[in-house]
Amino acid sequence: MRFSLPSSLSLGLVALLSLSGCGFSGSAAGTKQAASTDQRIVVDNFRAPVANWALESDAAYILSLSGCLETLTRYDESQGKIVPSLATEWKQVSPLEWDFTIREGVKFQDGSVLNADAVVGSLRNVLNADVPARAFSPKVVSAVKALDDHTVRVTTPTESPLVPYRLASVNTGVLSPAAFQGETVDPFGHCTGPFKPVSEKPKQSLTLDRNEDYWGGEVQLAGAEIRFITDGATRTAQVQTGEADVSLSIPVSGLAALEGDSNVKVLKADSPRTATLYMNNGKAPFDDVDFRKAVRSALDLDALAASVYEGAAVAASGPFAPSEPWAIEGAEAPKQDLEAAKKLLASAGYSADRPLEIVAIVERAEFADVATVIQDNLKAVGVPVKIQTKEYAAVEPDLLSGNYDMVLSQRNRLIDIADPIGFLTADYTCDGTYNLSHFCNAEYDKKVAQAAKTPDAEERYKLYAEAGQILQDQAVNVWLVNEQAIDAVRTDLQAHVQDPLSRYVLRADTAKSGS
Amino acid sequence: MPFLARRTAALVAAVLLASFTVFLIPYVTPGDPVRKIIRSRVAGDVIDDSAVDALSLQLGLNDPLWTQYLRWLGRLGSGDMGLSYTSRTPVADQVLPALWITLSLVVLALGTAVAISVVLGVAAALQEGRPADRVITAVTQAFIALPEYWLAPLFVLVFALQLSLLPSAGWEGPLSAVLPVAVLALRPTSYFTSAVREGVLEALSAEHVAAARSRGLSHLQTVWKHVIPNGLLPLTTLVAVWFAGLLGGSVIVEVIFAIPGMGRLLFDGVLNSDIPLAQGAVVVVVGLAVLLTTAADLVHGILNPQIRMSHA
Repeated sequence: MRFSLPSSLSLGLVALLSLSGCGFSGSAAGTKQAASTDQRIVVDNFRAPVANWALESDAAYILSLSGCLETLTRYDESQGKIVPSLATEWKQVSPLEWDFTIREGVKFQDGSVLNADAVVGSLRNVLNADVPARAFSPKVVSAVKALDDHTVRVTTPTESPLVPYRLASVNTGVLSPAAFQGETVDPFGHCTGPFKPVSEKPKQSLTLDRNEDYWGGEVQLAGAEIRFITDGATRTAQVQTGEADVSLSIPVSGLAALEGDSNVKVLKADSPRTATLYMNNGKAPFDDVDFRKAVRSALDLDALAASVYEGAAVAASGPFAPSEPWAIEGAEAPKQDLEAAKKLLASAGYSADRPLEIVAIVERAEFADVATVIQDNLKAVGVPVKIQTKEYAAVEPDLLSGNYDMVLSQRNRLIDIADPIGFLTADYTCDGTYNLSHFCNAEYDKKVAQAAKTPDAEERYKLYAEAGQILQDQAVNVWLVNEQAIDAVRTDLQAHVQDPLSRYVLRADTAKSGS
Repeated sequence: MPFLARRTAALVAAVLLASFTVFLIPYVTPGDPVRKIIRSRVAGDVIDDSAVDALSLQLGLNDPLWTQYLRWLGRLGSGDMGLSYTSRTPVADQVLPALWITLSLVVLALGTAVAISVVLGVAAALQEGRPADRVITAVTQAFIALPEYWLAPLFVLVFALQLSLLPSAGWEGPLSAVLPVAVLALRPTSYFTSAVREGVLEALSAEHVAAARSRGLSHLQTVWKHVIPNGLLPLTTLVAVWFAGLLGGSVIVEVIFAIPGMGRLLFDGVLNSDIPLAQGAVVVVVGLAVLLTTAADLVHGILNPQIRMSHA
C-alpha cells in the first residue's frame, strides 16, 4: 500500500507539522484522476526564485516555464525563428526603431486588457531595474513608448536587427499594471498565459490553476505545481516514483536508472552549452597557433564524451552544436592524432620547460575528471600539465586579466537572447567584455560586426558560421563536448515538447491521460 | 544572578562574534561579493561593470566595512534584520518560517532519538556484557559513522523508490517528514544510547541504589525509581547541544529533501553573498543555541544539586 503509516505516528506528526504551518497535500502528488481535463501535474524545476519575482532576474524563467508569463515574441526551436506571441507583427520602421503590433482581445488574468500602455509599463519596469537583464538593458534599448492603443515602439541606441529576439527573452514578459503597484513585483493573477499562479510556498513550490479565459485556446490541464528542487538526485527520484510528472535537468548520474524505467521517458536535446578548454592566446606557448592546434590534436574528445559524460554529451565539432542553425556546415569533431600533435609541437618550437596549468572550476564537478583526461592526453605528447581546482569567483580576475594558461568552463551561448551574437561579441571580439581567450582577429571582428547589422536571419546565421570557422581555424580554444539538456517525463504526459533552455514547459495543450 | 548574567553576556558575545564572522565571509573568500549577488539573481558569466557599480551604491557596499556592520547592528537593536540583498524583502520574513520548519524537524528528530535511545540504552546497561548489549552497542556505533549525505539517498532509494511507502522529498505533510526525521535522528540516537548506557551503569553502581535494594525494593522498582532518573541526567545537556547543532547543521538533509529550513537558508545566504540573510539566520541560530544550552544547564542544576551549588 502506498504512503501507509501507523496512525499513532501519523497523528503525532500531524500535530507537530500543523504547528509549523505546512499543508497536507503531499499524498495526492502523483495520484491519477479519471478525466483528463481535471488532471493536475507536478513539475520539478532545478532552481527557486531568489529575487522574489523580479522580471529582470531568473525568476522570469520560472514564470515562463509555468505557463504564466508570456512575451511579445517567442523563439520557435523547431523552426529556428522568432514567431508571434503577444505581438502579432513587427517591423523596423527606421534604423533605430521597431514597431510591435499588440495582439487584440487578450486579457490579463486579473481581467484588465492587454494594450500598448500595459506593455510599455511592464517593459520599462525591466529597463529601469537596478540590475537590468542583459537582454533588455539601457545598453541595448534606449526607449519604449506607446504610439497608440495597439502599437509599441522600441528604440535602440545603435542599429540592431535583434530587437524581436530581445522581446522573446523571458525577462521581457508582460504583466498587468497591477503587478507593479507594490514594492516587489506581484505576478499572481497578473499574467496572460494559460496558467494562473494562485499560491506560493517560498523556496518550495508555486501552484497554478488553468486560465479559463486564455486567448490561445482551451487549456487541457486543471492546474500544476512547480516544485523547486535543487538536488538533481531528488528530481530523478521524484519522476521515478510518480511524485513528479516532469523533472527538468536530470544529472548524468540518474540517466541509467531512468532509461531503464518503463514509466518514464527521457528527453535529450542539444543544449547551447559547450564544455570548452579555454586557452590563453595572449600568453606563451598558447600565442602560437600551431601549439594550440597540437593541444587539439592530442585530445580524444570521443573518449571524453563516453567516459566522463557517460554518453550525455557528444564530441564538439566547434563553438556551436551541429543542430544549431548557425553551425559550421560539414564540421566534424576533431579526432585524436598524436603524431600530428607532436609535429605541430615541433613546428611551434615547444619545449617543456614548465608544466602548464589547467584550472578546473569546482562549480562543475565533472571538470576535475575532464582535466585529468586532458592531462593524460597531453602527457602522451610530452606536454606536462598540472591541475588546479578553484571556485569560479576566485579565478575570474585572473582569467579576465590574462594571468592563466588553460581553464575549463562552459558558456550558455543563448543566455541573453535566442541568437549567439552576444556570445560571439563578448567572448571573441578584440574588445569583448568576456574575452577569456584574449583572442583578437580583425577578420573575425568584421564578420561579427557585419552580422550584428544583418536583418535577414539566414544571412546572419551564415556570417556566424563563418566567424565560427575562423575560431576553429585559429584553434582559439578546444571545444570539447556539446552538452545535452536532459529532462524526464512520465509516459502518461501528452503533448510535452522539450525546450533545451527550460523556458516553456506548461503549455495550453499539455495534457495528462486519465488512469 | 551571576550564572544568568554570565550566560546573558555569553549570548551577546556569541551573537556579535558569529554575526561579524558571517559578515566577513564574502570579503575574505575569493571573488567580488557584488558579482556573487548579481549571479545569484541572473545566471551567466558576463556582468556589466555598470551593474556592479549601481548595486554597490544601492546596497551601500562601498562604505567601510565597520560602517556597514555597525549600520546592521543598529538596525538589529531595534528588531530590524534588514532587507535581503537578493530578494529585497525583509530578512525576518524569510528567517521565521524557515526557523519554524527546522524547529519542527529537529524536535521530531530529537524526540525520536530520545525515545529510542532511552529504551536501547537502559536495555544495554541492564544486559551489560551480554549479547543484547553487544548488538545494541555495535549497531549504534555503526550509525555514528554513517553521514547524512549517504543515508539520505539510501533511505529515498529504499522507502520511496523501492517500497513506495513515503514521499522522496518536500515539506508537504506528515509523511514527507518521516525520511528526513529518520535520517537526522540516527546519529543522535547512537550518541544518546551510548550516553544513557553509561549513565545507567554509573547509577547502578551508586551507593544509594545499593541502599534502596537493601531497604527491600525490588530490582525493577530500584531501576525505575533510582537508576533511570539519574542515568538520564547526562542526556539533558546532550540533547541541548544536539538541538543547537541541528538548527543550523541540518543543511544536507534540507537540501536533499527539498526542505526550506534554516540550514538551507544559511547555505543560500552565504553562497549568494546575501549578507543580511546569512547574518539574520546566524543570529537566530546562535541566540537559540546559547539559550538552549543555558536552559539545559539550569535544568541540569535543578536535577543535580551539586551543580546548582557550584553555580551559586
